[in-house]
Amino acid sequence: MSLILQSIQVSILSMLVIFLVLGILIGVIKVLVHFLPYMAPPPPPPRAQAPVANASGSSQDDDHIAAIHAVLAHHLGKAPHEIQISNIQTL
Amino acid sequence: MDFSFQDSISKILHSTGFVAMSPGQGVMIAIALILLYLAIWKKFEPLLLLPIGFGCLLANLPLSMMANTNEGGLFNIFYYGVRHEILPPLIFLGVGALTDFGPLLANPKTLMLGAAAQIGVYTTLIGAVALGFNMQEASAIGIIGGADGPTSIFLAAKLAPHLLGPIAVAAYSYMSLVPLIQPPIMRFLTTEKERAVKMEQLKPISQTVKIIFPIASTVIVVLMLPGVAPLLGMLMLGNLFRESGVTARLHETSQTHLINIVTILLALAVGSSMTAESFLTWNTIKIIVLGLLAFCMATAGGVLFGKLMYIFSGGKINPLIGSAGVSAVPMAARVSQKVGQETDKSNFLLMHAMGPNVAGVIGSAVAAGVFLSLFGSGDAGSGHAAIETITTVTTSLGQ
Repeated sequence: MSLILQSIQVSILSMLVIFLVLGILIGVIKVLVHFLPYMAPPPPPPRAQAPVANASGSSQDDDHIAAIHAVLAHHLGKAPHEIQISNIQTL
Repeated sequence: MDFSFQDSISKILHSTGFVAMSPGQGVMIAIALILLYLAIWKKFEPLLLLPIGFGCLLANLPLSMMANTNEGGLFNIFYYGVRHEILPPLIFLGVGALTDFGPLLANPKTLMLGAAAQIGVYTTLIGAVALGFNMQEASAIGIIGGADGPTSIFLAAKLAPHLLGPIAVAAYSYMSLVPLIQPPIMRFLTTEKERAVKMEQLKPISQTVKIIFPIASTVIVVLMLPGVAPLLGMLMLGNLFRESGVTARLHETSQTHLINIVTILLALAVGSSMTAESFLTWNTIKIIVLGLLAFCMATAGGVLFGKLMYIFSGGKINPLIGSAGVSAVPMAARVSQKVGQETDKSNFLLMHAMGPNVAGVIGSAVAAGVFLSLFGSGDAGSGHAAIETITTVTTSLGQ
């Protein structure tokens, strides 16, 4: 009987210790969150607009466009004049 | 030398395990096969019950020398890691690396649910004492209510090593039955209105807080309860690997390969402790019954404290998350989610339940620390057996 009483005392004491320890941890978390609040990361910088190829582009660009034009026409089985490349963006 | 065919056959037969097998070993082999069946076909905690079952099988095959008590045997060496508190803390390292403390940090009040669920540990302690166990044994049995396998093994190895097998089997068996044990208790103790409560979205937590928390909590808790250092220290180290962002390789290893290797060693060592002499006793049956009581009381304690928080928060906290205070990460949190969705399909409690779930891990480690402070040999925190042995080995190597 005394052992059961002892176990009840141990249980009450232990539960108090557990609540105390975890209560202290709650306090620690609250202090940390208070002094180190979450700050959303800055939004990523907007991507620079890719330059649009135009008629005044370099001769190297023109060569590339011509090559792409020819390959596309061949791939699609169409005549080159049936395909019009309106916009090219550098990645 | 005379050769007789009949004598030779007789000698060979007498050198086999069939002749040496005792009825107790036969029963233990049957139990091992049941564990393997539960693991493979019923999917009950297969990662643990399968190696435990196979370890038990090997340990009980006569003349195999695979019981944990067979000096020099393979499992005797594996068991070294249990006896000297090496393997359970390494499991905790992996658990820490796997666990996100974010939900706990976002809603720290849920730590109280992890504390309340430990009531299962202490009601079982009282029950165990009433059934004739001494305080050390009762403490080791009671911690089953923490629903935390490594903690149960850790404490049993320290306070009642002769009960390690039944305690580990009860802890892991009931952990696998959490989805069956908890829901009826949760439904019985809550009203439909309480189960339907939708909780506010958790606020985000800064990375700095996530990094400081494991360090700060280790310092505070270990200063208060030095006995908890191996378990809590490793848990928090694993979490620091995860959150620091500078130890990707260690984090990766801890949460995958290390925890898997240690699980194999730990489970085989536990299985090898299940010999007929240690397992086939009335105490085992008592432990199995007390283990069920521990899980039920822990669930009830968490849910009832959840109801209290529901009242004091003005109906903002769903008491179902209280049941997740019984460790068993993340299965108990999933059960909260499932029972909540039975009432309202659009209710998502999983992340809210992860807070008390993680708190349960810390709470059960703290409960173990309290037991070690009260009933341990007093070596916790300073003179661990493992350190002593390593020192001895180092000294002898130096000579």
